[in-house]
Amino acid sequence: MTGRVIVITSGKGGVGKTTTNANIGTALARAGKKVVMIDTDLGLRNLDLLLGLENRIVYTIVDVVEERCKLKQALVKDKKNPNLCLLAAAQTRDKTAVTEEQLKNICDELKEKFDFVLVDCPAGIEQGFQNAVAGASEAIVVTTPEMSAVRDADRIIGLLEAKEEIKSYRLLLNRYRPKMVNAKDMMSADEVVEILSADLIGIIPEDAGIITSTNKGEPIVNDEKSLAGRAYRNVAQRIIGNEVPIINFEEEMKLLPKIKKFFAKFLNKGKEN
Amino acid sequence: MAENIFAEIYNKILGLFGQAEPKEDSKNTAVSRLRLVLMQDRTNLTPEIMHRMRKELIEVLSTYVELDKEALELNFEQEREQMALMLSIPVVRAKDEAEIEAAIKEKEEAKTSVEDSDENNKESEEDDEEENTDESSEAKEENDEEDADSSEDDEESDEDSLKQEDDSSSGEQKDSESEDEAVDSDEKDVKVESKKESKVKKEEK
Repeated sequence: MTGRVIVITSGKGGVGKTTTNANIGTALARAGKKVVMIDTDLGLRNLDLLLGLENRIVYTIVDVVEERCKLKQALVKDKKNPNLCLLAAAQTRDKTAVTEEQLKNICDELKEKFDFVLVDCPAGIEQGFQNAVAGASEAIVVTTPEMSAVRDADRIIGLLEAKEEIKSYRLLLNRYRPKMVNAKDMMSADEVVEILSADLIGIIPEDAGIITSTNKGEPIVNDEKSLAGRAYRNVAQRIIGNEVPIINFEEEMKLLPKIKKFFAKFLNKGKEN
Repeated sequence: MAENIFAEIYNKILGLFGQAEPKEDSKNTAVSRLRLVLMQDRTNLTPEIMHRMRKELIEVLSTYVELDKEALELNFEQEREQMALMLSIPVVRAKDEAEIEAAIKEKEEAKTSVEDSDENNKESEEDDEEENTDESSEAKEENDEEDADSSEDDEESDEDSLKQEDDSSSGEQKDSESEDEAVDSDEKDVKVESKKESKVKKEEK
């Protein structure tokens, strides 16, 4: 079996790379795929927190590279889903502890046993980024509808296009606020896509549930009611290759006032009679 | 009565909210600012180079038309996949043929005179260098003199030797001197241009 190695990157920090990684990984595993996530953010690891696995980590990626353990020993199984594994970053080391070559070897080894290898990339365009991209053949560029995030995404796309190993990349628009878009106070998805001229893999609405789910160490895709969770599950389906239409959040937001108006009319009619 | 009072209050409240300043869409500002900044990011051209490009374009175009140099606009614009260099030039008036020819002649003359002065400068610099190397080689041994010269196999030194030959030959054949020089200058033009191109390419990288 040869799995797909996908790097999740953004350039700018704080746009939701790690959240995206945890949720797409969990959603793919829920869909029955064997998934391993690699946290390459050495010194600033967080993926374990979002998955609630921080207490189970014994060995890290640096232990694997420095041959203190076997790769298989360092993989931490998810609490709920046996299809899902994590290879954690070392918290006490910096980006120089692992080289591009070493990371590529780890990815090559893992993709023999898993359907998907998701690489969580650190912010920035320095060595950490180069390392994370080294073993991947696909990329998901996470951005938000803010100027600084879009600009950094453009830079990342430029760097990805220069890499021969990266065969395709797609854009994930995170923290989308349909109300602000309707009020023309936020760039719409169409505008961001046009500016970056990249294919869109999904739109995730801003959701307070993301914070509570992080508090609990449980990805929001496990919450059936959450809109963001639904959006992430759709993204996972698109990665697998199933066609799922992108939810139009602007229209969905407009629907509520429409229903209110309808009932208001109904009530007024009742009064008149 | 009561209805009127309510209507008044209603209108007042409406007035309070309605008369707020017409809001500018901050999204449009963001989009246009982003477009501009991304253009600069993607092209990688420094303002200096843009300025130079502008200047040279004005030079070329003013041979054929009289233009408003101050109002000339040179910008990159992105349309989907394609990036375009947009040049907007207010034309004061088109020149007639005689004027154009005169301008071309004037330009060519200016070119040759500039090149001549350039050559003179270069030669004087080169002479200095040669003197220095000669002195140092003399200080050593006479046998090493040739080796020292040949070790300097930069393009410049090759050109030097070529020029020296030209100079000596031109001294003998005074009649054909002007023709030789013309050919030389043409060749140089090509060289200088190719160097410029490679420089620009490096900067783009």
